[in-house]
Amino acid sequence: MTRCQNPFQGFGLGLRPQHFPDILGPAGAEATAGVDWFEIISENFIAVGGMPRRNLMAVRNSRPMAMHGVSLSIGAPDPLDAAYLKGLKDLVDLIEPAVVSDHLCWTGAHGVNLHDLLPLPLTEETLDHVAARVIQVQDVLGRRIVLENASTYVTFTADTMSEWDFLAELTRRADCDLLLDVNNVYVSAFNHGFDPADYLAGIPADRVRQIHLAGHEHNGDHIVDTHDAPVADPVWDLYRRAVCKFGAVPTMIERDANIPPFADLVDELDQARRLAAQALDGAAA
Amino acid sequence: MTASLADIQDLFQDRLLTGRADIAAHLTSGGPFLSVYDHAYVARLLDIMGEDFPAVHTLLGDDAFAEAAGAYVRGHPSTARSVRWLGARFRDWLGDTPPWSDLPVVADMAAFEWGLGLAFDAPDADVLGGAALAAVPPEAWPVLGFDFHPAFNTFELSHEVAPFQQAVAREENPEAAPAPFADGAQTWAAWRDGATCQVRYRALAGDEAAGLALLRDGGDFQTLCETLAGFGEADAAAPRAAGYLRGWVEAGWITGLSAPGLSWA
Repeated sequence: MTRCQNPFQGFGLGLRPQHFPDILGPAGAEATAGVDWFEIISENFIAVGGMPRRNLMAVRNSRPMAMHGVSLSIGAPDPLDAAYLKGLKDLVDLIEPAVVSDHLCWTGAHGVNLHDLLPLPLTEETLDHVAARVIQVQDVLGRRIVLENASTYVTFTADTMSEWDFLAELTRRADCDLLLDVNNVYVSAFNHGFDPADYLAGIPADRVRQIHLAGHEHNGDHIVDTHDAPVADPVWDLYRRAVCKFGAVPTMIERDANIPPFADLVDELDQARRLAAQALDGAAA
Repeated sequence: MTASLADIQDLFQDRLLTGRADIAAHLTSGGPFLSVYDHAYVARLLDIMGEDFPAVHTLLGDDAFAEAAGAYVRGHPSTARSVRWLGARFRDWLGDTPPWSDLPVVADMAAFEWGLGLAFDAPDADVLGGAALAAVPPEAWPVLGFDFHPAFNTFELSHEVAPFQQAVAREENPEAAPAPFADGAQTWAAWRDGATCQVRYRALAGDEAAGLALLRDGGDFQTLCETLAGFGEADAAAPRAAGYLRGWVEAGWITGLSAPGLSWA
């Protein structure tokens, strides 16, 4: 079958196996009517066959798709994993995604994968290192990649720049794009005491290809990016401000734990749609 | 002097793997929320182990499973890009590590769940049709080699774990702990039905298991017959091998045939 050729715009959801029956079942067309596109976790489908692959392709043939990775480890000290990149490229060739993203982070060193999005010191050395590797990845994939700001819980004494300045300079040096996770901006701003408005102001608007929204856990003196709850009110407020600055960027709800019924996520996505419309109307007025 | 990126990463990884606190000196204010990473590392991996081994979890109960899986993940840092492979050595570890090695049913359950998982999502491959065997020229048969589907895998079991695992998969309470097989260890196979993608499994006969092991190790049809002859009457070995082969092809276990120096349409 031909891949869906709809434009990558509007509002999407992370594709989770629990929801395949809703999406691909007899009522799937109705259930997914408010979902313009889906995002997959790339690692879940690299070198995978059987029912997961069959379901993936069925969804892809009805919707545009974004690929979102968690193991590129763009800031790691080890050389880039050639086998992983080949698997990623094979998947890119198969599903023809609108966006191929991963995170500004590292996930392990010396061959170990800690399976967490670990923070990087924000220094010139890191910038040089990451930019060179982004260029390498883009050469292999033959396309721009998109990097997401991860939530962080520590900063380094070695830091010499803000994360937004780091990302802005990275896009310039490596000619890559950005996935702005608005919840992560809020979480990191709270944990480190900066103003999220400064973050949004520092991000180059022409580089933002996609927006993530997700829930978090507030622990009083710090917030953890858990992806296990609805989007919190302050994050919705920040999203509204992001839409005012960045415009109608494709936006999705990202839920990875405590996964609710599919219809609940579609309702939450409608909330994003309404807020974005209000923000765009306000910006135009 | 400012630490290099690589030095900081070494200290950070050391913190997560061993708990040592040296990284704190490089964190603003000593990193008051560093524990978020400590907690997330183990919690995430334990979640994955629970998803991959729900029947082992049920068999052991919450506390013992957390103890076993926790010790396993701490002792075996992942080296794969996907957490899909985190539990690849869990069965062997359970079988070799006290006190779990004193409960061989636990390693059996892990082997069964892992085998079903491999069958579920291994890469796709085109399987042979029945006509492929009929097309093999006579001179090719003795040296005929076989390629197996990536989803086909085998494992040893000493306990009747399937009913327990199936009950857990249906989110039912298993009625009883798995009993040992009366005749000792058996080899089981798991594979995927090509049409439905459903995972199948069954016990293999002793000679069938030996023959399959030989073929998967690069053996040919002639040596398959010789192996089967060792299990019974020599005259019956060739027809028995042919019978097995038809069954394996029908089940979708075989993806290719080849004979050195020979080719046929």
